[in-house]
Amino acid sequence: MKELLLIGNGMSTGRLLDELLKYPVSSEFTITVVGDESEGSYNRTLLSPLLADEIDVDLLIKKPVSWYQQQGIRFIHGVAERVFRENKTVYLVDGQTLEYDHLILATGSRPAKTSSVNQHLDNIYNFRTLKDVLMIANKARVIQHAVVVGGGLAGLEAAYGLILRGANVTLVHRGDYLLNRQLDQQAGEGLRRVLEHHNIRFEMDCEVDSFESTGQVVQRAILTNGKAVSCHLVVIATGITPNKELGEASGLDCGVAIRVNDFMTSSDDSISAIGECCEHAGITFGMVEPIWLQCKILASKLAGKVITRFQMPAVATTLQVSGVDVFSAGDHTTTGAHRTLIFTDPASYVYRKLLLKKDRIVGIVLLGDTRDGQYYFELMQKRVNVSKVADILIFGRDFFDLESLLEANQFDRV
Amino acid sequence: MSELTAIDQVTSFPVKDVNTTCCYCGVGCGVIATIDEGQIVSIRGDKNHPANSGRLCVKGASLHETHHSPDRLLHPLVHGQEASWEQAFDYTVKKFQSTIDLHGADSVAFYLSGQLLTEDYYVANKLMKGFIGTSNIDTNSRLCMASAAAAYNRAFGGDIVPGCYEDLEVADLLMLVGSNMAYTHPVIYQRIVKAKKERPDLKVVVIDPRRTATCDLADFHLPIAPGSDAFFFNGLLFFLNQKNFIDQSFIDLYCEGFENALKAVTDQGADLTTMAGLCDLDINEMHQVYRLFAETDKVVTVFSQGINQSSTGVDKGNAIINCHLATGKIGRKGATPFAITGQPNAMGGREVGGLAHILAAHMNYDSEESVDRVARFWNASNMTAKAGRKAVDMFQDIYDGKIKAIWIMATNPAATMPNAGFVREALQRCDLVMVSDCIGNTDTAMYANVVFPTTTWGEKTGMVTNSERRISLQKGAIPAPGEARHDWHILTEFARRLGFGEAFPYQQSVEIFREHALLSGYENEGGRAFDISALADLSSEEYLNFQPVQWPVNEKYPNGRARLFEDKRFFTKSRKAYFVPVVAHFPQVRPKAEQAIMNTGRVRDQWHTMGRTGSSCKLFGHCDEPFVDINPLDMTKLGLQDGDLVELKNRGARYLGRAQKMIGQRRGEVFAPMHWNSRFSSSSCVDTLVNSFTDPYSGQPEFKHCPVNIKAYDAVWHGLILTSEEFNTGMKTDYWVKIPLPRGLKFRLAETRLPKSFSSWIKEQFPLIQDWAEFNDSDGDYFRCAGLVNGKLKIVFHAKRGKSAIDEHPWLDRKLNEPCNVTTRFALLAGQPGVAFEQKGRVICYCYEIGEKSIRKAILDGCDSTAALGERLKCGTHCGSCLSELNSLVKDELRAKNGITEVDKLI
Repeated sequence: MKELLLIGNGMSTGRLLDELLKYPVSSEFTITVVGDESEGSYNRTLLSPLLADEIDVDLLIKKPVSWYQQQGIRFIHGVAERVFRENKTVYLVDGQTLEYDHLILATGSRPAKTSSVNQHLDNIYNFRTLKDVLMIANKARVIQHAVVVGGGLAGLEAAYGLILRGANVTLVHRGDYLLNRQLDQQAGEGLRRVLEHHNIRFEMDCEVDSFESTGQVVQRAILTNGKAVSCHLVVIATGITPNKELGEASGLDCGVAIRVNDFMTSSDDSISAIGECCEHAGITFGMVEPIWLQCKILASKLAGKVITRFQMPAVATTLQVSGVDVFSAGDHTTTGAHRTLIFTDPASYVYRKLLLKKDRIVGIVLLGDTRDGQYYFELMQKRVNVSKVADILIFGRDFFDLESLLEANQFDRV
Repeated sequence: MSELTAIDQVTSFPVKDVNTTCCYCGVGCGVIATIDEGQIVSIRGDKNHPANSGRLCVKGASLHETHHSPDRLLHPLVHGQEASWEQAFDYTVKKFQSTIDLHGADSVAFYLSGQLLTEDYYVANKLMKGFIGTSNIDTNSRLCMASAAAAYNRAFGGDIVPGCYEDLEVADLLMLVGSNMAYTHPVIYQRIVKAKKERPDLKVVVIDPRRTATCDLADFHLPIAPGSDAFFFNGLLFFLNQKNFIDQSFIDLYCEGFENALKAVTDQGADLTTMAGLCDLDINEMHQVYRLFAETDKVVTVFSQGINQSSTGVDKGNAIINCHLATGKIGRKGATPFAITGQPNAMGGREVGGLAHILAAHMNYDSEESVDRVARFWNASNMTAKAGRKAVDMFQDIYDGKIKAIWIMATNPAATMPNAGFVREALQRCDLVMVSDCIGNTDTAMYANVVFPTTTWGEKTGMVTNSERRISLQKGAIPAPGEARHDWHILTEFARRLGFGEAFPYQQSVEIFREHALLSGYENEGGRAFDISALADLSSEEYLNFQPVQWPVNEKYPNGRARLFEDKRFFTKSRKAYFVPVVAHFPQVRPKAEQAIMNTGRVRDQWHTMGRTGSSCKLFGHCDEPFVDINPLDMTKLGLQDGDLVELKNRGARYLGRAQKMIGQRRGEVFAPMHWNSRFSSSSCVDTLVNSFTDPYSGQPEFKHCPVNIKAYDAVWHGLILTSEEFNTGMKTDYWVKIPLPRGLKFRLAETRLPKSFSSWIKEQFPLIQDWAEFNDSDGDYFRCAGLVNGKLKIVFHAKRGKSAIDEHPWLDRKLNEPCNVTTRFALLAGQPGVAFEQKGRVICYCYEIGEKSIRKAILDGCDSTAALGERLKCGTHCGSCLSELNSLVKDELRAKNGITEVDKLI
């Protein structure tokens, strides 16, 4: 029996175990999971709906501690301190020593640090863990004004959740438009107009210089543009930093995160890394789809099955805010090499952009009406020639025959 | 002096049915209009009217939908500004009078219309010929029936249609020559369809260069070379003589001139082989048709504009009449030559004498006696004794400055005269242009100093005479809108102001009609066929309840006559019919290499320049855009696809239309519709191309044969704009055509240059609209947008680069002024409702709005005839105009079902 040791018990680990248990591995491996959150594995993508009060907390918990027992997996509530690669052991903070034949690092990430002064004040939270969200939800009931820092997906979802819980929200964003990693400027600005419609105020192009208070609880945020925004709750959602330290300290090759090859193997053959703590071909990960793929690849490798190489898949982004539909995939900013098909309807808060190269969709930006996102995504993934429907493609699949387009495409390839 | 009042102006209006007569073609159908609260709310055919026995075509059935033109003129216009009647009369009467004073009576002219009622015509004719003292009064009948009338005159000594509609039903052979009756006289066509169904022995021959919808009915279609009809009928006369089919005793007893006529034919050479070559016909088919004519006792030859609108139209008419005379096929039930008229009152106008070359009541200038008689009857103060200028010459005189004042009534010569561009220039030069019309912005009204607002069908009362000499009443039933007045009333007031009040005392139209009837019998003594003296003392009540009757209506025939010449007595001096020697000619100008011969004519559901029909969207369903029918091989040669825009040119004038692939169009020949004008299109007024060559006898122009240059229009983009009426400021593109919609207008556009940005191009034209949904393609192949005000759609614009038109979906046509949600906004730009919408297809039956898809489905479900379709879907059971199309669909589906794939596009 070989010892398979997993450090971290986030979504990647949960998924990897699911993938792994599809194979008859119990005769081959003893599996041990070390996790720092006692709840077991939960679905972090549902934190936003939780904050928005759209779901109950039990819906998040995917794998309670009892699940590990049922699967014959040892679950240890603890934190790894050090990996000794030469004798294949891991020390935990509490002094335990665990041996491994193969080690999987799934240490995830943590909120990125911001330079704002006085982040130690009470009622300033990150938007990262179940605990964060439960705290924020709890405080939102009693305060009037909240500041959210960061205009990415998490920040917008946090702001929206707070609005639904009755707070007045000001969102501070460093970029000049929202979701600048998923949208083009026009869509980002359109999104801002929609959210302003939902009573979220925005301070763009600036950061929080400092938080101020006469007591322990934060009272206002001083912005780099000179404005002062009063607040009794702050949510910081300015992105993530990969937790590469455990790997780095043990001498694994690291860039921004722990570098892995196409089979999720680190610079040490006995150690793999998946999820937000790893880096593949210069890219780190935050979205679910590529990480799921990593889990699948690693599971089949561990099971000794035929494996495919990891390649960054196209990823579609959606915003988890009901009534504010955003869909983005592939390229989002127009360059000279693109043909763009753009639908604008400001009065309806609808914006759609398809970016084409050589008659194939290479980018999708949808705002306000995302119904056709998945169809466009399919056309993009399958590299379907859309030149024949370029005049109506943007209006959605009600107006063109997707099936015949896909069929024609197959024929094309033959 | 107080102005006279027309007391037959309609003032009260309880709900009621009013018997009246349709205002469109020469069939003259009886119509029952239901009036509610001063509005015509529905229309149905009058079962008791002999012309139609309750049938109506789609135009007639839509009369009530054409009564609310947004361009209806409600007040007089002086120099384009609204003015009072007093101002309008004051200006025109002074100017008209001073023109006569300075330049003589021949410096003024009237140009009238076959749309006018007999009473209008009578007052105009009397005023000009008896009191102003000139015969410069001509009409658009010159463009339609002048040749037939002249041919009748030459042969019979009078402008007399010998037969009646019933003859068409009881004949054993019907020759339809130069007539697309299915479109131009649909109700008569339906009567023949019925007759042929009941009596399949009735043979129908269509002689027409085009394979028209009328050919559906034909046992033989002879696609004759354009303009060769006289050769065909000369050949027939030669054949009849050669094969001893002539009725020698009829000729001997009742005719003169046969030998000369035969000699002319023989000298020119008229054997079958030569004629078949000249007519470009299959010799066997031609021979069969000759034999049919020869061996059939009851033959009716119906001829229309294909004969008349020719530089040798009179000769062609006589060539036809000669064949009937030679075989005695005239003056009998089911045997007659029959010229069917285009306009509702072309014949009424001729009866009155409202043409430059005739005088009044079938009297001419050829005898001093006639002039004197009419002068005495009218007590004329300034009787003219000589003929005036016919239409084409009249406008030439205007151009040359000889005629300095013209009054145009109920017609649109700037769009309909040959070389219409020249007519526009002439009007531009003319000192005084007066126009009477119910529409204030016709192509002609644009050149008017003064426009008088007139009443129109439904508002005015007076007589019309149809193609079979049947006089019917058009009865006013609703009040005149605004300050509109009856034409006769305007003329009467004008005459009074010129100082002729005593001779023009009319207060009601019946007074005019009585005078007209009296004149027809005045010193007549049987010398003039047109005699309705029995109607000279009609009471007002009798007049308003007038029952249709065929003239003559006199002491001898108080109930009229269905047929003339039953007694074999004609109206020449000798009382014998006259054979006119006809030397056949082809049209003057032959096409040069690479040119095409352009033929022009009507479409089924439009009338003339669309003044009335153009306000009903339903009537655009059958055909909504100017087109050019082209033979498929010519299409290929010209590099054209079906639906591409094609450009026809002559003398610098140009016509743009959609190329339509037509197997039934001869090679080297094209057909273009006559209706479109500046109100509806940028460059599709076909008569600007037509040459003003005229017949030497009738003065009728050659509308059916015009060599033109033809090429594909080099559009770089096409557009589609739907806009609500209030935002319409007119289109600026090189090509545009306007199509009315239930709530707004549709424009199809094309251009030879791209705008810098479609987005700014359209927004500049609609600056008041803020709310735009827009689709931009960075390659510039496509642009689409929709503009809304308060959430309601006001404009949709689709543009597409390239040569082909925008795809259209009928769904979009009904969206203007509707509130639109997000999903609808996508659909507006997509131009279609999406997959959820089950399409019924292109509408075929407009009465019941039944679409092609529904019809095809019903056929597949077992409806194997138009009757079965009518039972299932009701299509074709109201006006019947779509029956020939329904029939084609049945054939089409059944052919497809039976595995035969070749489907000819016939229409």
